[in-house]
Amino acid sequence: MSAFVERLRAEGEKRYHDRHRYHVLMHEGRLSRGQLQQWVLNRYYYQTRIPIKDALIVSKSEDPAFRRLWLHRIRDHDGDAEGEGGLAMWLRLADGVGLDREEVASCRSVLPGVRTACDSYVELVRTRGLLEAVASSLTEFFAPDIMSKRVAAWEKHYPWVDPAMLAYFRTRVTRARKDAEEAVAYVERHATTPELQDQCVAALIRKTEILWALLDSVYAACVSPKLAPKARLRHDRKEDKTMLLYPEKGLVLNATAADIAKLCTGENTVDGIIEKLSKKYSKDAATVQREVIGLLTSFAERGLILE
Amino acid sequence: MRPYTLIAELSYRCPLRCSYCSNPVDWAKHRDELDTATWLRVFREAEELGVVQLNLTGGEPLVRDDLEELVAGARALDLYTNLITSGIPLERARLENLRAAGLDNVQVSVQDVEEKNSDRIAGTKSFTHKLEVARWVKALGMPLTLNIVLHRGNLGRVEQMIALAEELAADRLELANTQYLGWALVNRQALLPTREQLEAARVIAARAKKRLKGRMEVLFVTPDYYAEYPKTCMDGWGRRFLLVSPDGLALPCHAAHTLPGLHFDNVRNQPLAEIWTTSKGFNAFRGEGWMQEPCASCDRRTVDLGGCRCQAYHLTGDAAATDPACKLAPTHGLIEAARGESRAPKTVALHYRSAKPVARP
Repeated sequence: MSAFVERLRAEGEKRYHDRHRYHVLMHEGRLSRGQLQQWVLNRYYYQTRIPIKDALIVSKSEDPAFRRLWLHRIRDHDGDAEGEGGLAMWLRLADGVGLDREEVASCRSVLPGVRTACDSYVELVRTRGLLEAVASSLTEFFAPDIMSKRVAAWEKHYPWVDPAMLAYFRTRVTRARKDAEEAVAYVERHATTPELQDQCVAALIRKTEILWALLDSVYAACVSPKLAPKARLRHDRKEDKTMLLYPEKGLVLNATAADIAKLCTGENTVDGIIEKLSKKYSKDAATVQREVIGLLTSFAERGLILE
Repeated sequence: MRPYTLIAELSYRCPLRCSYCSNPVDWAKHRDELDTATWLRVFREAEELGVVQLNLTGGEPLVRDDLEELVAGARALDLYTNLITSGIPLERARLENLRAAGLDNVQVSVQDVEEKNSDRIAGTKSFTHKLEVARWVKALGMPLTLNIVLHRGNLGRVEQMIALAEELAADRLELANTQYLGWALVNRQALLPTREQLEAARVIAARAKKRLKGRMEVLFVTPDYYAEYPKTCMDGWGRRFLLVSPDGLALPCHAAHTLPGLHFDNVRNQPLAEIWTTSKGFNAFRGEGWMQEPCASCDRRTVDLGGCRCQAYHLTGDAAATDPACKLAPTHGLIEAARGESRAPKTVALHYRSAKPVARP
């Protein structure tokens, strides 16, 4: 692997959304039925954007060989006939988790944050050159096993989902690897200067941020965090700070963190917490969302909240 | 400087006789336990001093009839209260009362993953009941810490220990390698593992820690006999921990009063704050002034703070010496010799904790 590809791999891997809290919860079997449904419903909107961005990529190329190579991605998603292809398979998955297929297909219930994230991906591809657009498609390259992991996790933890409905994930196991290899080869061949390589890395990072933002929106809407039985808040008179205590340990919280912890009652969604805090501190919701989800993730990794 | 944790050793009495017990070998001499009112005053004074965590331990804290009252008193002070227990003797009704009194966490120890071995180390039939207690803790909606002391006889079963903790839905698993002080030093030859045993267990624990992140906290305490540098014992002498022994001595750690020539004050006679800040015993090994070479000029002196004073004394006879666990210590050969012994296994009889002290090896 060339140093450049290694750099792409390293930058992408550490930001890939398989590390997002929502995916961790999904793969550990800890999402409720409703939480899993919301992921399927919202992620469908992302799926609908993929053939559109791939068509944009095709339109940027002057090379018939590249266009032929890339066109199969559109066919993979849209199928050769009605009811075939990745999008149709995703709607079967929607059936499998008990969603209303028509509602999912209409995309009318998609969260605004998810819509913004997915649209910005299409916009990224629309406004950049071919090389960066291809580089932004590389994300599956970093976690070739995410799909097989997902199939195994769903079969184990969500037995109420008909395993036949997991067809989409299964087909992606081999397809994703092949797609990624083709795209990596293209980027490696064409990113011939340090500047071009930097642009590719930047485009890829932007894409990982988009995938992350999608999950942030779903997490914020679908999780109502509650302090775990082992965690207890205490006001510390010595330093006039709030502490979050748990067996043998304690965290000293700053003012924002203390507000967030106090709102972890199980009655507020993460979105609700974000709204309250952005009002209180007159800060924009996007900044607060990052802070809140970042803090909740660090709590969750210590087992201090139930999600 | 404030202490964050008060370790309240409510009693040295215990129905178990573990051969690695960290209580002093002459525990039976300390018969005069503090009464309820004094403990409650100690909790109050500790809280005023900055303490936020209270560990109720022993011996076995359950032998105290006033445990419910002590827990309620601690809770009234908003202390995070952790009961460190063998689970013997405990009935479900009493556990419910303790929960109602405000107990935050229960730490139950087992000595192994199966009855015969666990009971052999404990010196009494106890394993089955311990598991029952652990299940009650979770059934009552309380957090559970499972504590297992590791040694050469059980290190090979770390995988099963993790499985047991998962089955019990423990919130925290402490895989604590024996620290060779007190009864464990008496029994060192029978307990000290080989490096290979330890390394294999460490790898298994590290994998579980990663896998269980966010669900169960897995703690693997390495024995300093196999570390390059000494542990930062108690996070430093008189820095974060304050311990009160059953008969009222305020100490920086559970073995500090075994060091000769140090004076420790009793909470019966003096306010805790005064002892913490001014007593000779607490100040003896604070800072760096007491350090000898190679510690005094070592870059790591601010990291491990000189290591364990009790280990230094019990192995070298000098409490201010560099902890022999440190590879830079002139007395490190003592540790290397003990490691060497671990490689030449022979059957050594265990000295069970008893009221009659035994000689050190």
